[in-house]
Amino acid sequence: MHKKIKVMISCMIIVIFILSLGACSQSSSSDKVGKNEIVFWNPFVGPDGKNMQMMVDAYNKTNPKFKVRNISLKEADMYAKIPTVVNSGRNIPDLNIVHAERIKQFVDKDMLIPMDDSLAKYPEIKAENYVKAGWDIGSLDNKRYSVPLDVHSFVMYYNKDLAAKYAPHALDDNIVTFDEIKEAGLKAKKDGIIAAPVTWMKPAFLSVYSQMGGSITSDGTKPTLNTEQAVDTLKLYNGFVKSGITNKDGQDAGQVFKSGKAIFYPEGIWMQNDIKKAKNLNWGMTNFPQLSDDKNKMVNWSSSHQFVLLKNPERNKKKTEGVIKFINWVRDNSLPWAEAGQNPAALATLDNPKYQQMPQSFLIKDTTEQKSLKIFDYKYNGYISEQLDKIGNDTVFGKLDIKKALMDSQKTVEDKIAQDK
Amino acid sequence: MKKVNISTLISFIFLLCMTLIWIFPLAWSLFTSFKDEIDIQTFGFTMLPIHWVIANYQDVLFNNTSAPVAKWFMNSMIISVTQTILVLVVVSMAAYGYTRLRFKGRDWLFSFLLATMMFPAVVNLIPLYKIVDTLGWVNSYWAAIVPGAAAVFNVFLVRQFMIGIPIELDESARIDGANDFQIYTKVTLPLIKPVLTVVALFTFTSSWNDFLWPSIVFNDIDKMPITPGLQLLQGMYVTDIGHAMAAAIIAIVPTFILYLFTQRYFLQSMSLSSGVKG
Amino acid sequence: MIFIGPHLLLFALFFLIPIFFGVYISFTNWDLVNTPEFVGLDNYKDILLNKESTFYTQLHTGLGNTFKFVAFTVPACIVIPLLLAAALHVKPKGMKIFQAIFYLPVLFSISAVMIIWSMMFNVSFGPINHYFTSSPNWLGTQPYAWIALVVVTVWWGIGGNMIIYQAALNGVSKEYYEAASLDGAGRLQKFFHITLPSIKNQLLFTIVITTIAQFNIYGQALMLTKGGPSSSTTVLLMYIQQNAFGSGQSIAGIASAMAVILGLCIMAVSVIQFFLLRERK
Repeated sequence: MHKKIKVMISCMIIVIFILSLGACSQSSSSDKVGKNEIVFWNPFVGPDGKNMQMMVDAYNKTNPKFKVRNISLKEADMYAKIPTVVNSGRNIPDLNIVHAERIKQFVDKDMLIPMDDSLAKYPEIKAENYVKAGWDIGSLDNKRYSVPLDVHSFVMYYNKDLAAKYAPHALDDNIVTFDEIKEAGLKAKKDGIIAAPVTWMKPAFLSVYSQMGGSITSDGTKPTLNTEQAVDTLKLYNGFVKSGITNKDGQDAGQVFKSGKAIFYPEGIWMQNDIKKAKNLNWGMTNFPQLSDDKNKMVNWSSSHQFVLLKNPERNKKKTEGVIKFINWVRDNSLPWAEAGQNPAALATLDNPKYQQMPQSFLIKDTTEQKSLKIFDYKYNGYISEQLDKIGNDTVFGKLDIKKALMDSQKTVEDKIAQDK
Repeated sequence: MKKVNISTLISFIFLLCMTLIWIFPLAWSLFTSFKDEIDIQTFGFTMLPIHWVIANYQDVLFNNTSAPVAKWFMNSMIISVTQTILVLVVVSMAAYGYTRLRFKGRDWLFSFLLATMMFPAVVNLIPLYKIVDTLGWVNSYWAAIVPGAAAVFNVFLVRQFMIGIPIELDESARIDGANDFQIYTKVTLPLIKPVLTVVALFTFTSSWNDFLWPSIVFNDIDKMPITPGLQLLQGMYVTDIGHAMAAAIIAIVPTFILYLFTQRYFLQSMSLSSGVKG
Repeated sequence: MIFIGPHLLLFALFFLIPIFFGVYISFTNWDLVNTPEFVGLDNYKDILLNKESTFYTQLHTGLGNTFKFVAFTVPACIVIPLLLAAALHVKPKGMKIFQAIFYLPVLFSISAVMIIWSMMFNVSFGPINHYFTSSPNWLGTQPYAWIALVVVTVWWGIGGNMIIYQAALNGVSKEYYEAASLDGAGRLQKFFHITLPSIKNQLLFTIVITTIAQFNIYGQALMLTKGGPSSSTTVLLMYIQQNAFGSGQSIAGIASAMAVILGLCIMAVSVIQFFLLRERK
């Protein structure tokens, strides 16, 4: 017995020794921020993280004066860390990706640096070269605080064979209405096929809420969640659950769709690589379901990843220029980002035939579609999102009273805003 | 005689049923980690894989997924082993000090340490983060290695064991002209090996399995240990069941192997810590 | 001094100072970054008395759920290992293997265990839903979510207590039983009159450490039920973590006050443990 343990321990120590050597050599190359290094934080820890790494590697191969070091953080952690580092003035990244919804709050707290002066050298970074929804977000009080990387939307996938069978004309105008979904669902019910899987309720709610004319804020600071339209939105979905055309509570909607048991499947464009994996599935992509057939009233929930410069007294002019250089390079080389399923914000990608073949490109190609991309840029969107994630599924599946849930959420958001000094 | 047989039989059947309950999740997870993701998505639940594939393990270990599981595994190894070594050194020295050295207020000081064990660690969490941050340790291995070495319980355990060792051995070494440090290395350490083994096993497993603290001090995905890493993997926006299972299995392998080799010590350690002479 | 120095230093820096610091910041409006401002009892007033405040709701929901969890799991984590230990005590065939299997999950990390069990309960892929047709959404409806949490906690954590009980049962002298048999005592009588009193100390010890451990519930609720359905399994440590280290502005002052309150609950139990340890000295 003793012998065994000795052998084990010595083995382990040897292994560790080797590992730590490896780690040391790694850390020495990665922990010290080189003088000519751009520290780049982003929240890409999912499949898209790999594509971002590819882009950064490709950029570094062009031998720029300032190389980019890609650091992916958990989203919640990244947003917790940003105020901490900015306030302490240490370890501030040179470049950061944040969600569009956060920018207002960061500007309010005086944490971002306007880019106008540094962009002067790169005239191609201008409104005409970007998707409008993504570009407009970065402009506050006539100053430019961010440059968009992408616009990602919450749309709907559909099973072509099942749609032809149960909803033959729903897709003719590329708008599927909720009425059409319900009709198809009632037809398909007897065959064990569902039409309205409940997926991520947050974007679904926001999309329908704004189609109904609701808004999450009345004046830009006060939240308005507890409204008639909000109740109606949740009731609509709750009605689908009651009529049995949705997945069962707790059942994985993605699995239902991928195994060919769902006609429609509302999800983000970023999910397509996951859907591609399903063999024998003949799928297409269309707009998020709408209340009306009117193309001009369409709403597709969208968000956008944006490049920003956090306030950092140590970032000198030269480095800032290096950062902008990278942003400009991304403008021309966004194809890998499209391959991650996203819609790059830089219109340069539009001409690429490869991109034109991608299903998500329909959102960018025509201007009516572009207008439907709605970014919910309310300053306290973060708090609203947290609440919607909390109550979304529970209210829809009837485990939580809709009116009460909305009332409590309204209150929680108000309290959190009050705490926000 | 007959009675004994019946009670043995009942016990045996009861244990057998319970064992099946205990084994089932592990067996099914192991099988699931060898399933083809497409099969899982298409057929839902199956007990055995329809096609046996090792792709999940390959993807997870060679970073074909967005979760750098191999890196997490290494991080965990480095952290757990370093912490174990640190704890052994610090704790054995402290225990030696509290049992063999005479200084004023020794026992009073130790009683004070024991008394602080009542303080719940949950109150520490936020200030500890700040201290670690001030030291510049956020996202570095030290954050997970050093604070754990402050625990009093291990000192208590080793001290209890040392009290039972006759002091005469020290005396004779002292007569031969050895100083404290020589006595500690030459006489005491070899004698307290059994209890140190227990402390080492405990420290290693608890460090490997620590969850809340590392999930607070590591937010750089490349620096994480595997335990908080798995939580991140669960939250990633594509549920890849085969991969998640493979990663979970990889995470439990080291402690499993350790247990296979040192089962006796683990069982002893439990009795030791409850104060029963096992 | 050179011998106890290293440990004392670590102890002071990473345990003693944080405790006092932690209590202090519960009286401030700290956000982890700027200088803490002293606000007296405001945080406590807010979370304990101000019915209007979200944090009042958080504390009451969180602490309530933590207490519920303790109440549900502690008895199960005492009785089940005791039964197992008693069954193992008659030394059936394969005893060593049985023992090893029940102890095994203790060594697994919580996140791995939770990944395994969330799949077990998964409606689309899991065996439980497959073998019991028309079974509920375990992790998303009550009371099933609680049952799931208890099952998982028992599966994961009873090994240690089982071993302690085994050692304790081995320590009970055979003579007592023989004497009782002569008096014509039945099985149950023996158990209640001889076995339980003899292992009283170990029982008390395990109850205390199990209770302390379960008060720190975090991982199971976070990864298995995600605090749901509708916050019915969101435990206090989850709120503390969210308020101090969540996204958005850190509310470390309030979080600390919550931690102190949770700490006081645990401390009440720890005091008992301290006296037990003292006795054995």
